Amino acid sequence: MSFGVQAASPLSSICYLLGKLVRLGFFFIFLIAIFHHTNAIVGYTFEEAALFFLTFNLVDILAQLFFRGIYGIRGLIREGEYDYYLIQPANVLYRVAFNTVDFLDVLTVLPVIALLWIMMRRIGGAWTFPHLFLYLALAFNGLLIAFAIHIAVAALAVWTQEMENTIWIYRDLMTLGRFPSDIYAAPMRRLLTFVVPIAVMISFPPKAYLGRLPARSCVEAIAIAVASVVLSLQFWSFANRRYSSVSS
Amino acid sequence: MNVFRRSFRKYGFVFALYLQEGFALRSTFLMERFRSLIVLLSFYYFWTALLAHRASFAGYDRTQIITYTLGINLLRGLVFATRTDQIPAEINHGRVSAYLLRPMNFTLYTFVRDLSEKSINLVSVVIEITGLIWIFHMPIRWPHEALTWLWFALSVGGAVALFFYLTFMVGCWGFWTAEAWGPRFLLELFLEFTAGAFFPIDVLAPALQTVLKMFPSPYLVFFPLNVFLERLTPQQLARGFAMQLTWIVVAAVAAQTVWRRGLVVYSAQGG
Repeated sequence: MSFGVQAASPLSSICYLLGKLVRLGFFFIFLIAIFHHTNAIVGYTFEEAALFFLTFNLVDILAQLFFRGIYGIRGLIREGEYDYYLIQPANVLYRVAFNTVDFLDVLTVLPVIALLWIMMRRIGGAWTFPHLFLYLALAFNGLLIAFAIHIAVAALAVWTQEMENTIWIYRDLMTLGRFPSDIYAAPMRRLLTFVVPIAVMISFPPKAYLGRLPARSCVEAIAIAVASVVLSLQFWSFANRRYSSVSS
Repeated sequence: MNVFRRSFRKYGFVFALYLQEGFALRSTFLMERFRSLIVLLSFYYFWTALLAHRASFAGYDRTQIITYTLGINLLRGLVFATRTDQIPAEINHGRVSAYLLRPMNFTLYTFVRDLSEKSINLVSVVIEITGLIWIFHMPIRWPHEALTWLWFALSVGGAVALFFYLTFMVGCWGFWTAEAWGPRFLLELFLEFTAGAFFPIDVLAPALQTVLKMFPSPYLVFFPLNVFLERLTPQQLARGFAMQLTWIVVAAVAAQTVWRRGLVVYSAQGG
């Protein structure tokens, strides 16, 4: 259904796809250009810095791919369609979150994965199963945190019918993970780790791959993800218990 | 003189009306400012980390690059803030018919509408930049020559006009397609990057810089900020202004041509 909607607007879909690829390409060109002038940024080589940037893209794109439906929840509530979701024999959260799938993101994530593979192979000594496993596990962990954030935003929309800008606050904060979190001052790093866990979502996986993440931080990352999901699901239940229909 | 006074009053009313609307849509405005601040902060920390142990980078010292980064925030609010994204919807939903019936020039009306948003952004940006300079003790490279301020104001004015005509032209694609959003998204992204609205384009490879300077986009952000930083010789300054003016004329002619062609094919039902 989602694919049909996008296929019905070929010009826009192609332009959106090209735009996403242009954005990815230009930032990558920027990174390449930076490393023509220097050997390292906060101790990271080009391949390592690219790993951070590509991980940001991977987590961000996958979160948009799977949870795009959250962006439309306010419209569902305003038009009364959410009421019908509540009476259907399907999990409401699943119905809302996966209501829309952006197939353009499927096409966008492929070059990201390809570049990730290239960069990982070029980083000497890190291309081992334990490092790769840690990377994938923490990237999935980051995706779980993204899922929790999306649930919380959806719950806020159900509770207050106000979410227009909340999801975009999250999207904008995610861009802070484009560069290694080490570039930020200590207070900012703590904010990005424990308050808005962007660093956990994006910086931890590449650091784990590079062998620069302490074991304790891995445990903290998993704890943050589990806590985020549990709390967001409780908030979702709370919001739905207090939901009153706008119209249907 | 009377005609001028009447026109000024007419478009002044439009300006005031959209200024009030801008203040009414507070959450949208705050979101836009928040997004700009996030971009600014991420690049501020990036450049600070890069220049932590070196005096300069790609010909910029720390003060210049921080000033450039702050300047990006200013020019994003002034140049890239626009309401021309409403034009395709106005065309597709037939609302442009109302404008055609009124005694006003739609291009000028749209430009005045843009100016109202830029005015609000200007005040906000000045407050933001002042706050950031104070909080982070950011070093600023102020112009040494008084005349630089005049050249900077002129170059920013040129950038505003150039971006307006480019996006106005893209907005007019609504006459031919209901899918004008996609091409606009692509154009704005392309313009942002090639304008130097994320980083100075002279950090890129010389060959790429040569290619980018063939487009009008460097005259939106990169050129005005280099004027402010006094990085241009008098000859480069003159050539830059000449190129910016040339692109403004080309874009204006193209925009008006597309608008007139669009009116020929335009039709609307209801009202």
